[in-house]
Amino acid sequence: MIDSILLIDDEDLFHLVFEDACSLLDMTLSLEALNSSDEADKLFKRWFTEGPVEERPECVFVDLNIIGSSFDGIEMIRKINTDYGNGVVIGIISSSDDNQEIEKAKAVGAQFWIIKSDEIEPRLEEFLKDYDSYQEKTAPFKVYK
Amino acid sequence: MISGNDTVNEALIKAKSKKVYIEGNFVKILKGSLSAEVVTYISDCKEKDKQSRRKRLDVTKQVQLQNSELAEASVIKETLVLELQNALDDAEKLRDEAVEDLDIMQKRTQFELIGLIVKVALIIIVGVGITTTLLYSIAMLSDKDTTLLATAWSNLFGILLTNSFSIIGTIMGVKYATENK
Repeated sequence: MIDSILLIDDEDLFHLVFEDACSLLDMTLSLEALNSSDEADKLFKRWFTEGPVEERPECVFVDLNIIGSSFDGIEMIRKINTDYGNGVVIGIISSSDDNQEIEKAKAVGAQFWIIKSDEIEPRLEEFLKDYDSYQEKTAPFKVYK
Repeated sequence: MISGNDTVNEALIKAKSKKVYIEGNFVKILKGSLSAEVVTYISDCKEKDKQSRRKRLDVTKQVQLQNSELAEASVIKETLVLELQNALDDAEKLRDEAVEDLDIMQKRTQFELIGLIVKVALIIIVGVGITTTLLYSIAMLSDKDTTLLATAWSNLFGILLTNSFSIIGTIMGVKYATENK
């Protein structure tokens, strides 16, 4: 089970889907969902500069296109990995399967790419199986289709 | 009711007696108990929580699907409105062109008619001029009284000269208007 998860996605309905799917799969006990990358940026900046670091989530799922935010999911991952000390399992959760975007995400240090669809649970289940290797940073980048 | 002095076991048994089932992640952190009753209760809570989660997930997914269908329909509607607007613009353009063509055609017919009238008028004027001149010449050559003919001839040429300019003006006007169209 993952200690804490942060979901950054502009779609409120997906927050509910993700929360219920996580609950059914016993993925985590603590899930926080944010609507914008700006909010997440503020939090990570605070955790990095002021702490406490323990408040940081263990795993972060970022949507690719976050409507109403100053930057997209790839930039968010880049910021977390390079500006805010890295240290979290991080990847994209998006309905897009654009290869160029996938490559960009990989380049900034995303560890996985989960494609959103009606049936998200089997992908999350598969992700959960690989989770330990993501934490140990031994798993290669993977796209969950 | 559950009080602060109750043990977890007692609290859970009280909750069970009131048919209150714990939901959410709190259920996940409850482990087994020595009491078989509490173990069954926790298991029931977990099962009920799963059922309600599954139900909510299905409903949320359905709403999500309907939302995306609505969004798609909205895009289609916008496209159709745009296409309709374009078709309307095209139709208006064609109508304007047709009206303009009709106007040109009507004007051309009018100009052709005016041209014909001018031609006929010229023929009549020139014909009358030639006839009067011939009559006047014959009368002069045959030593007949030319007083009336001379006045008529002079008046006629005066009128001819005046009308000629008017006719030339009309011809030029018609020509100019036709060339512009």
